[in-house]
Order: sequence, then C-alpha cells, then structure tokens
Amino acid sequence: MSLNCSDLCPLWPCEDKKEYKGVWVVGEVSEKGLHEASLQMLTPALKVSKKLRSEVVGVLIGYNVKKYADEFIKHGASKVIVVDDKALSTYYPMLYGDVIVELAKRFKPELILIAATMRGREMAPYIANTLKTGITADCTDFDVDEKTGDVLQIRPPFGAMLLAHIKTPSRRPQVSTARPNVFPVPPRDDSRSGEIIEVKVNVRKPRMKLISVKKIKKEEVPIEKAEVIVSGGKGIGSKEGFKVLEELANLLGGVVAGSRKAVDAGWIPRERQVGQTGKSVKPILYIAVGISGAAQHMFGVREAGVIVAINKDENAPIFRQADYGIVSDYREVLPKLIEYINSLKKEPRLLKELIE
Amino acid sequence: MVRVVVGIKWVPNTQAVRFDPKTGTLMREGVPSIINPPDLSAVEFALKIKERYGGEAIAITMAPPSAVKGLEHVLGMGVDRAVLISDRAFAGADTLATSYVLAEAIKKISRDVGKVDLAVFGQETIDSSTAHIPAQTASWLRWPYVYYVTDLEIKDDKVVVSRVLEDRVEKYELELPSVISVFMESIEARDVRLLHKLRAKIEKPIVVWSNKELKLDPRCIGLKGSPTMVSKITWTLEVPRKKIVYKPKDPEDAARWLISMLLKDEKTSKIFKWVVGG
Repeated sequence: MSLNCSDLCPLWPCEDKKEYKGVWVVGEVSEKGLHEASLQMLTPALKVSKKLRSEVVGVLIGYNVKKYADEFIKHGASKVIVVDDKALSTYYPMLYGDVIVELAKRFKPELILIAATMRGREMAPYIANTLKTGITADCTDFDVDEKTGDVLQIRPPFGAMLLAHIKTPSRRPQVSTARPNVFPVPPRDDSRSGEIIEVKVNVRKPRMKLISVKKIKKEEVPIEKAEVIVSGGKGIGSKEGFKVLEELANLLGGVVAGSRKAVDAGWIPRERQVGQTGKSVKPILYIAVGISGAAQHMFGVREAGVIVAINKDENAPIFRQADYGIVSDYREVLPKLIEYINSLKKEPRLLKELIE
Repeated sequence: MVRVVVGIKWVPNTQAVRFDPKTGTLMREGVPSIINPPDLSAVEFALKIKERYGGEAIAITMAPPSAVKGLEHVLGMGVDRAVLISDRAFAGADTLATSYVLAEAIKKISRDVGKVDLAVFGQETIDSSTAHIPAQTASWLRWPYVYYVTDLEIKDDKVVVSRVLEDRVEKYELELPSVISVFMESIEARDVRLLHKLRAKIEKPIVVWSNKELKLDPRCIGLKGSPTMVSKITWTLEVPRKKIVYKPKDPEDAARWLISMLLKDEKTSKIFKWVVGG
C-alpha cells in the first residue's frame, strides 16, 4: 500500500508502516515484582513474532526495575528496553503512558501488548490514542494476515458466540490488551540470554500526585487460582442465597464466585466475577448454580476441567455447555449435596459402593 | 463553581437479549436501548459535585437521534443541559474517532458555555466493555486522568480522588481540568424527579450538534477516522462438554447422582476422594 498522506486525518502522523518492527510486551511492576499477567502476554507475543519474523521485546519502566528484565528474557523475550528513572518511582497513567509513547516513537514496534490489569486498562488506551493509532481490548487470540502483515486481534464482541477479527490496516503500532489468565506464562528457560537496552527518556512533570495508598485485605484464594469454584447467578435470588454456595465451596476446599448479574445485584464482590468482563478461571471443577449460561459468562470458564450446572429451568443454555446438569432448584439440591458429602466423609465405605 | 461534563452511551440492553436455543445465537431484534448502567453512576457523581460546589452538569452523548430518550432521563435526574452529538458522518467510529468527537464537543462547550473543569465517564459499557473512551478523551484534551474513582473532593483548582485497584485504595490529587472514570456502579443513581422533568419540558435544554456545528475534518471522524476495522467474524470453537442432563426424582437422588458422576470422571475423581477422605 503506497502512502497517501492527504487521505489521512491531518492530526495523525503519516508514516510507512514498514518502518515498524518487533512485538512489545509492556511490563507492569509493583512492589511484588513483575506482574504475572505481563509475562502471560509473552505467549501471544511469541506467536505473533514468529509469524512476522520479528522479535519479542519486553519494556520495563519505573524506578529500580532493571532487575526484572531477566524475567522477561528467561520467559522468551529477546530484548528488554528499560527506562529506570527516579522520576518514574510513582505510577501515574499519563506519565507512564507518555514514556511508552516516547519509546514507541523512537523504536517503532509493530505491535504493543499490554496486560489488561486495572492499571493496564487505564494506561493502554491513552498510549494508543496519543500515538494516533487503534487499540483492541480484551483479545483472546492473535493471528497475522500473511499478505499485509497486519495483526488480527481477535476478541468476542457483544453478541453470540462470535469472534471479531480486528485489524489496524494503516496505522502502527498496533495496540492490544488481553485479560489476565487468558494466556499461560511461557515456560521458563534459564539458559536463555538477551540484550538489555537502557534508555533515557525526558520525563514530564506529572499533573497529579499520589497522596496515600491503603492496602485492602487480599482474599484467601483468588478465584483464578481456585481448584473448585461454586458460582452463583441471577437464579440465586439474594445475597443470603449465596450462604449455601459458600458452605458447599468450603466443604470442597473451593471458593465462591458469581456471574455478572450476581455482581451487579451486589450479592458477590466484583473481584469474584467470572466471564468476559470479569475473570477467566480454570478450576478442576466449576459448579454453576442458577446461571443461565450467557456466552460472556461461558467464555470465562472455557478452561474449566468439568462444569456442573444446577438450574431449575431445563431450557437454560448452560445445560448444553456443561458436563453434568441437574434440573432442580438449588435450594433443595445443595443442602442435600452438603449433607451427602458429609455422610461420605464419615462413611468412606459408601464411596466404594458409589464407584462400583 | 464547577462545570462538569458527563459522557453517556446509549446501548442495546444486553440483559434483554434472548438466547435462541435452536440456532445457538442471541436474538437482538427489538432489543430496547438503555443508558449504559455504569454511566448512570457517572451522572450521579456529576450531580453530587454540582450540588456540593455549585455550577452545572452537562450530559453529552454521541448517538443516533433516539438517544434523546436517554438524555431526557438524565435531565430528569437533575442534569442542567444535554448535548446530542448526532450525524451520519460520525457513524462507524471506533473508540479513537468517538473520543475525538467527544473531546472536540467538550472544547466547544468550554468555548460557548464556559470553561469545563471536569469530564466524568462511566468505567466501561455493557455492550463492548473496552473502557477506552475516558483515557482516549484525556489524551485528546491533554488533561490528567484517573480510572476507578469511588470518591471525589474539589480543593481550589485541584481535585482529590479515591480510587480502587485490585488490592489497594489510592488517593490522588489531580490538576483541573481533568478526566475521571467512575468505578463501575459504585454509587447508586437517583431516580427521575417530576420537578426536573417538568423543567426540562419547558426549557428544552437539549441541543443537537452535527458536524455543521463541530466542523471536524471528515478524515478524522466516522469510519475514515477509525484506525481499527473488523475484518471478519467467526464462530468460537465450542469447548467439548459431556452435556449429560439429569432430572432427579428428589434432591437426595440428585446429590447421589452428581457425586457418583464426579467420582467416575477422571478429571474430578481425585479432588473428590481427597475431599471425602477416601
């Protein structure tokens, strides 16, 4: 495609997209170190870079962050660009965003991947927009259009079980985010080595100031790490209804989660929301109670080992997306289930009978 | 005195979308549009600021003419005036082109009505959930911004906000003007009041701006001003599931059946044996 700058919005820089090379993963660093979600972005980065015959570059900005560069390399990056500056000791979306923008202008990557953590979702659209390029949020897969070299950013749009393949045909860099736990962290290889490029960037004065930070109590097991999840939806009907789910979850060594409807109703906190707009989970066992099975919800449990559905509506779509379905009212079934598991605990001999 | 602009989106009510079990698709025909629910929290925020510090709250939306209904609703809640940005030239916009028009509308309000101090948005929309617009609008305006705000105070020419992240609450001070995005439905929106509704009926405080008013370069708006495009739509691969559905005689039968299935299933048998101490 030849460049025709007069066709472009004059606010956009007119540049040949062929000048842009490399796939970037922007790292998020907190006092706990490099965020696992950032390392997960190396998986799609490696896939895309292979097809584009380019390299994966980690990007680290902040203060005292150089020590994390090796993490990026051991998990698959070839290079890491580091901006280590005292002026970046506090994260501000615009300040950090402007540094990434500066780096992108200088090094011209073809794709920038950012984990859609809360900070990532705050900063990524700013970066893309300031570069006057497109951004695709919450991608679940990536591919490359071999002819044009455009990255296909694949995401489930609003609607049915559909995937939209989104391209940014004329602009570079392409920018995408993906939710944590959609991709695995690529295996660590301690024999890998790579180049660390330290860069100085002119850091602007932030027009905001962090006044205080208060840690909020971390829950014992976050739903994305749980092996057993008992999840409730609209059919639970009330906050009190979740008590019996909690009881079952405790008995199975699991945790309670919920659908968007349950979260919107205030029955369960937002950090326990499963689905496209919540979290992706991968328990061995997912018990969906009073959940109809909307595509957005089911996306979040696609990696669950076994899905059990308990719903009194036999036409609920969840029954066609579950392994074991029970058409019943949870109010009757769950107490019996709890009672039954308790009796099995006391009488392991009953277990044998069940298996035979 | 604080002049607050609040951005709202007129979206299809995803809750009303029904599933067609025969085709496995969602049926969208006849689905009514509503104000994006998180935006109602943003409106409530704007009204609280106005009540506390004086000034005015102005709602803006880029939408087809039918969105007037949504604007009437927020006027009924107490918003002072509303701008409907509507023109076929804006159609097909992605989030970059949309935020460009919104930012230009905010600039026009600053020029025509008076300096805007704060632009408030909902966290994300229920139809696409990108959460792009607040940051993109801030990028066009070059205003400082912050997401996930749960509380806000104006102090002289600064705004002090509390915001939540996954594991912490942070307090920031931002220079005005700035852009904030309100944490989901962290604050309950008030109902429409008859008094406000009547006032809106009499004063007719909704103006419609097409590109005649905004005078934006056609290359920067709508489809042309959108760097992203949907190249194709495909079906997701359905995860293979056993799909065994059981109608139990009674709750006890249900419990027995489920446990025996989970014990026989090689994926789950392990955890179950462990749980029951076998």
